[in-house]
Amino acid sequence: MSSSIEGEPSLASSSQSSATEPSLALVPPTSTTAAPSSTNNAAPETSSSSSLDEQIERLKRCEYLKENEVKSLCLRAREILVDEGNVQRVDAPVTICGDIHGQFYDLVELFKVGGECPDKNYLFLGDFVDRGYYSVETFLLLLALKVRYPDRITLIRGNHESRQITQVYGFYDECLRKYGSVNVWRYCTEIFDYLSLSAIIEDKIFTVHGGLSPSINTLDQIRVIDRKQEVPHDGAMCDLMWSDPEEIDGWGLSPRGAGYLFGGDVVAMFNERNDLDLIARAHQLVMEGHRSMFNDALVTVWSAPNYCYRCGNVASILELDENLGKSFKIFDAAPNEARGVPVKNPPPDYFL
Amino acid sequence: MRAKIPNMPSAAETDTIIRTPKPTDSVMNEMIMETAPSSTPVVIDGEEALRQIEHLRSDDLSLRISAARKLTTISAALGPDRTREELLPFLSDGVDDEDEVLEAIAASLGELIPFVGSTPEKNFSASLLGPLELLLAVEENTVREKAAESAIKVANSLNDEEYRSEFVGMIGRLATKEWFTARIAGCGLIPVAFGRMSNELQSSHLQYFANLCRDDAPMVRRIASRNLGALIYKVAEAMGPSSIADNGPISTTLLDLLELLAGGDQPDSVRLHTTENCVCFGNAMTLLKEKADPNSMDHNEESITTRSNALVKRILPLVVATIDDRSWRVRWTAASKFALVVKAFSSLNDSMDALVPAYEKLLQDPEAEVRTSATLNLAEVAKTGSKVYPVGWLNDDNMDCDDLDNRITIAERLVQRVMTLTEDDSENVRAALAMVATELAPLLGKDITISHLLPPMLLLLRDSTSEVRLNIISSLTLLNDVIGEELLCESLLPAILDLAEDGKWRIRMAVIERMPLLAKQLGKDFFNDKLLELCVGWLGDDISSIREAAAKNLKELTTLLGADWAIENLLPRVKAVMEHPSYLRRTNAVQGIVYMGSAMDVNTTQNEVLPILLEMACDTVPNVRFNVAKGLGVLGPSFNESVYESQITPILDLLNDDPDRDVRYFAGQTGDSLKGVFQKEQ
Repeated sequence: MSSSIEGEPSLASSSQSSATEPSLALVPPTSTTAAPSSTNNAAPETSSSSSLDEQIERLKRCEYLKENEVKSLCLRAREILVDEGNVQRVDAPVTICGDIHGQFYDLVELFKVGGECPDKNYLFLGDFVDRGYYSVETFLLLLALKVRYPDRITLIRGNHESRQITQVYGFYDECLRKYGSVNVWRYCTEIFDYLSLSAIIEDKIFTVHGGLSPSINTLDQIRVIDRKQEVPHDGAMCDLMWSDPEEIDGWGLSPRGAGYLFGGDVVAMFNERNDLDLIARAHQLVMEGHRSMFNDALVTVWSAPNYCYRCGNVASILELDENLGKSFKIFDAAPNEARGVPVKNPPPDYFL
Repeated sequence: MRAKIPNMPSAAETDTIIRTPKPTDSVMNEMIMETAPSSTPVVIDGEEALRQIEHLRSDDLSLRISAARKLTTISAALGPDRTREELLPFLSDGVDDEDEVLEAIAASLGELIPFVGSTPEKNFSASLLGPLELLLAVEENTVREKAAESAIKVANSLNDEEYRSEFVGMIGRLATKEWFTARIAGCGLIPVAFGRMSNELQSSHLQYFANLCRDDAPMVRRIASRNLGALIYKVAEAMGPSSIADNGPISTTLLDLLELLAGGDQPDSVRLHTTENCVCFGNAMTLLKEKADPNSMDHNEESITTRSNALVKRILPLVVATIDDRSWRVRWTAASKFALVVKAFSSLNDSMDALVPAYEKLLQDPEAEVRTSATLNLAEVAKTGSKVYPVGWLNDDNMDCDDLDNRITIAERLVQRVMTLTEDDSENVRAALAMVATELAPLLGKDITISHLLPPMLLLLRDSTSEVRLNIISSLTLLNDVIGEELLCESLLPAILDLAEDGKWRIRMAVIERMPLLAKQLGKDFFNDKLLELCVGWLGDDISSIREAAAKNLKELTTLLGADWAIENLLPRVKAVMEHPSYLRRTNAVQGIVYMGSAMDVNTTQNEVLPILLEMACDTVPNVRFNVAKGLGVLGPSFNESVYESQITPILDLLNDDPDRDVRYFAGQTGDSLKGVFQKEQ
């Protein structure tokens, strides 16, 4: 399941993107086709929580939003995300979820198993997009919930929330296919830059998409990263999203071509220094849904059942109660009848 | 595609993009409405159109696609004359572009009808068929599909004469083109257009279709086969009884083709459509009989029946042959459509003696998929009113005596197969059987149900697969109605208890959903004894959906068994859940108690439910608190004003000052809606 960052097209390195798209303004760059700027100008500013509720209902039926709705949703999300720290504080109780990867109907299954937002609180560890068929719907649903209930759901960034990676693993193509233009991809990838890098639950549980970095010893060192950029190819921010734990001593080279491998001693030291009980992370497929390592000092949570629709794995979510008591909920991929896709489209009465 | 459009105004030369607003829908409608009747040029968004024209010639695929979707904008700017003389030829030149572009063009062409102009003497929409004809011949079938939709749209706007010369003429050319994809398009369009053809065209196009059925390319024969049934129906519709006269096209040509395409030397993808074509044929015959004017000469109607029956007899062997086809796909198709087959042929009395044994053979097919599909049709086949001979009757010496007294209903004959099906190796077959078998009960009547249907149903209740047990429990009502519930209770309980603890949560969910029904069927005592603990236990399930369904279930049970019962039996148990250490459980308990309250009378709710609910407003977790606020919104309106002011308002005020913004939001919502209720009363 490892994906190499090397050899991927560097279409939008951080410097380049800030040159062509100044200050991350959510205005489509020059070669756009649709010029959606002043159409429906009434909608974005006045859209209240009720129109957002309506959009959430639509997204839950796996219908994607109109381009201008995405744009205004992203604008509102930016307002919220820009205030979040690189180590976002989260209160217990909360349910931690790992990679989703565009498997929309499995996300719906996740909510059936764990409970609907906002009744239950959620923390998603990134990798919302790519690989699955419904990256657009998946990310927009999570983002809409974030905008509607900022205190009930937290989204942090995974290595797939990146311009480069999404051009290779499906999100870019999906946006182009579903909208006929790449504007929606642009809006979404700009929001990716605003997503927090990690979260800390009740000062005791540190959560991040990938893992630790040799250039980071304390949480404060994460707090000072300037995160509003494309995921870089190396350095602390890259490592947080790309690293993996491994049964080794100290640090090792990652076969992924980005991030590092880190051992139990590294985790123990990090937890000790930052007064943590546990690191919860995602990023790696675990056939049984979750796996604890290093004497329960680190846990991997994986929330994409039957990953890529063929891996045959189960998924899990980690429920933390108000006293940080842990319990894993295991779930399978949504059955076909819950996928809402007509089994067979009857052919029209002329030919195919 | 990037060829130059002659005399086309060139778009702005600069690279900068002029940000003009997109025409909004209302502008668009205005354009269409103004253009359509008058065909005079309308002042529209020329800049936008210029840009789209430029995009149409762009090297960027996504620009060409989006411009191709906006052909209406371009034509509105060009006006009808230049649309016909410049835009359409330009589009025709571009049929070697990428499929996505072609698909967009094909779809847009159907929208251009109001933009190509019409004068009282001449309607120019037929000019759209030029590019469409080319698109109908391209390789990608989604493009052809869209082109066909548009072509049909265009054709419907033509008068009969134009329809025949332009549209039908085009179909004729397609059907005889060298490249096979064009001929495929022809196969699909001939049935569509048949009704509006002149007699001459009808016979020539029937001939084209016959040639397509004998085409060298199996792909063409496959599509011809898929459309043959539709054509038969259209022919019957258009020509009436004369179509089945001795020299009518159905008798002379189409049935030959049906036999030809069902032949064993055809590939299975061609034979696959035999069943459906036979159904269409049966429906066509029914149509002719219905249409026959009962007031005209009786012998005429008589002869329609005789003739059609003769033709049905000719077709019947084809249907029966699909049951023994060497390809399981063909057999599967037959199995899945068998209810339709039986329905289509039911008017012919003795056809059932051939069809029912054939159906029984499908139930014993070597492939489990075929058996499953056939089993799902069991009840539908049995519902056909006709009678059949019992098994083995025709093999005896009784061949000659056609004594109706010896016949039994199809249900009576098929019920004898049910026992065998309960022992099927495939759980899918058994699950299908469990779903439909009880529908036989009303057809069989009490005695035969008890003697023949009940034993296999009891076996299914003890089946090793949970889906089978679930399906049979869900469909038991029909059985209950026929034989009464006492007979079932004893066998039912172990099956329910088992399913209630199934590892798959959807199974548990299905059991919960059936609880109210079971409570109703089995009575309060039985429920208290055996099922109450289950219902409350689900409130503590691991899966959130189950807990929610369990909470909702409390409402149904309260409605069904009464408020007193609920207070005595449910409330203490729900209260216990409210002290659970996890907020997940407590949230569901709050929801549950609200559900219960909504099914009780006001006083009981006020005395028993409201205090507990208000207590939960001080929970440490915001999710619990805002569910209290939501719950007050549900229950609040039924209370009187003093309760509202003395008990609810203080709590809402408290929640309105909550540190959590979602609690404040939901408390505000509830406060507003209750204010509305109680102010109105004043």
